[in-house]
Amino acid sequence: MRVPERFRLIHIVASPAALDKAEYLRIAPDEALAFAAPESIDDPYAIVEPDDGYAGLWLDAQEAEKFLARACEWELPPHRPAFAQGAVAGLPAKLWIERDRMLILVPAPYAADLEERLA
Amino acid sequence: MSFHIDCPHCGRRPVEEFFYGEVASENESIAGADARNLDRVFMLDNPEGIATERWFHAYGCRRWLTLRRDTRK
Amino acid sequence: MNEFVERKIALTWRAPKRAYDVVIVGGGGHGLATAYYLATRHGITNVAVLERNYIGSGNSGRNTTIIRANYGIPEAVRFYQRSVDLYASLESETGRGIMHRQKGLLWLAHSEAGVRAERARAEVNVAFGTKTEFVDPDQVKRICPQIDITGGGLWPVAGGTYHPEGSTARHDRVVWAFAEGAMRQGVDIQQGIRVHSLRVEGDRVTGVETDQGPISAGVVLSAAGGHVTTLVSTAGVRLPIRTHPLQAFVTNHYALEFPIIVASATLLFYASQTARGEMLMGAEIDRQPSYSYRSSHDFLQHCAFRAMTLLPFLRNLRILRQWTGVCDMSPDYSPIMGKTGIDGLLITTGWGTWGFKAIPAAGEQLAQLIATGATPELIAPFSLDRFARDRTMADRGSAGTH
Repeated sequence: MRVPERFRLIHIVASPAALDKAEYLRIAPDEALAFAAPESIDDPYAIVEPDDGYAGLWLDAQEAEKFLARACEWELPPHRPAFAQGAVAGLPAKLWIERDRMLILVPAPYAADLEERLA
Repeated sequence: MSFHIDCPHCGRRPVEEFFYGEVASENESIAGADARNLDRVFMLDNPEGIATERWFHAYGCRRWLTLRRDTRK
Repeated sequence: MNEFVERKIALTWRAPKRAYDVVIVGGGGHGLATAYYLATRHGITNVAVLERNYIGSGNSGRNTTIIRANYGIPEAVRFYQRSVDLYASLESETGRGIMHRQKGLLWLAHSEAGVRAERARAEVNVAFGTKTEFVDPDQVKRICPQIDITGGGLWPVAGGTYHPEGSTARHDRVVWAFAEGAMRQGVDIQQGIRVHSLRVEGDRVTGVETDQGPISAGVVLSAAGGHVTTLVSTAGVRLPIRTHPLQAFVTNHYALEFPIIVASATLLFYASQTARGEMLMGAEIDRQPSYSYRSSHDFLQHCAFRAMTLLPFLRNLRILRQWTGVCDMSPDYSPIMGKTGIDGLLITTGWGTWGFKAIPAAGEQLAQLIATGATPELIAPFSLDRFARDRTMADRGSAGTH
């Protein structure tokens, strides 16, 4: 298993209606993470900031399925791509699930714990 | 004791993902040591049945929820 | 009560009368001890103990049976020491074995602040009448060689206190000893009878309403454990009580003797060995109030993890059983005993996670209150009106564990 690394994400706080218009890692109704800064966002009061606070790694579909089978006790969303968040291996994890791979992110201080629990 | 909470944003999750945030109540200032304030500070409802409570989804959306829970189950 | 218990103790069961001098709601240790002391010390025997299930089926049968007096405030040290003394002579007094064993209790600290708190505890204990001494990590290791004083590298032991009078007893036998002793004197113990409300006329309690009809009484004592709020609210009394679950578990047999009780307030766990050789462990209450007896896997995981950090030999054992009690938690971690503002209605509550050790002293003192009408000095600081008088009894020596 590989080592989780720091991820640079874009942290967006904006109105729910503005966030509904694009595909984000939607962590709350008025809060999202994105892989790249959006070209525009339909909210004059939106906050868009780079966020280096997460660590994580991509797992292929098979690895992901195996890991989640033992480490996640709640149901994943059926559609792809999908965002989900909750306790995974006892850590506050954020998952971005694509058809053939999955990104698992945790707050950076938990990087070592994630590595240990993936092993 | 274990149960699940339906987070309106994240979905159904085990209670261990949440912090218990006390009974939902109106926010009033406390001015003096009269009987009504004594009651509000110390004398608790402790319902054996439906309680209205605040919970914080620490492992997910990090938002406060207000929910009703049956304390007998 | 099951057949085994019926054979073990000589009880006589009769139908409830319609009136008693004293009705005690709740047939756990506290209710039964009060009945026992009323009968044996004060000759008051027209007494009924009403239990909705079987005696000892609530927290008296679910606790971790630790007896100690190393509390953090003078009033509590004096009170619990009285209970330690009464427990020590209970077998000879009742003629019934309660499997009382003095084991010694180690209370561990893992930080500078914890060490200061334990030094303060030792000082308060000695000053107010119980034996507790501060011990350094080497002494901890000598007293209990099984402890990993590096705390698995996570929680190194920085010191602690040793309380030689720390003991355990068999909880069911304590319940039966008091029940039998009370019944021999003529006290009525009624099982399978549910009290759903109190009868009040004006400012005075006149009895209880049960699922088997009304029973009148001159004095009603609520010893109803976690369900106390619901009961006394029927007389308009409000309490500073929240009902929280407390969980515990036992492992299979540990082949060696583990002769001591170990507790850590930082790790929120405590462990002792039962007479059968099982390792018995408990932790802190569940955060949210609840009347449910369900147990959780999350508790097992966390408690077992912390316990194994300090006591690595536990890794080789298996968890056999876990269970839950529902505890009447007070906001200052001290009990609430005595008058309620309604004439004739008395309470013994706020026993939270620390009630078992107090059974004899609370029973003795409440019996004296019922017999004389005056609150004994030993329990006066624990009255319900302390909250209105701004005299709460916050006790760090009690907080968190058993």
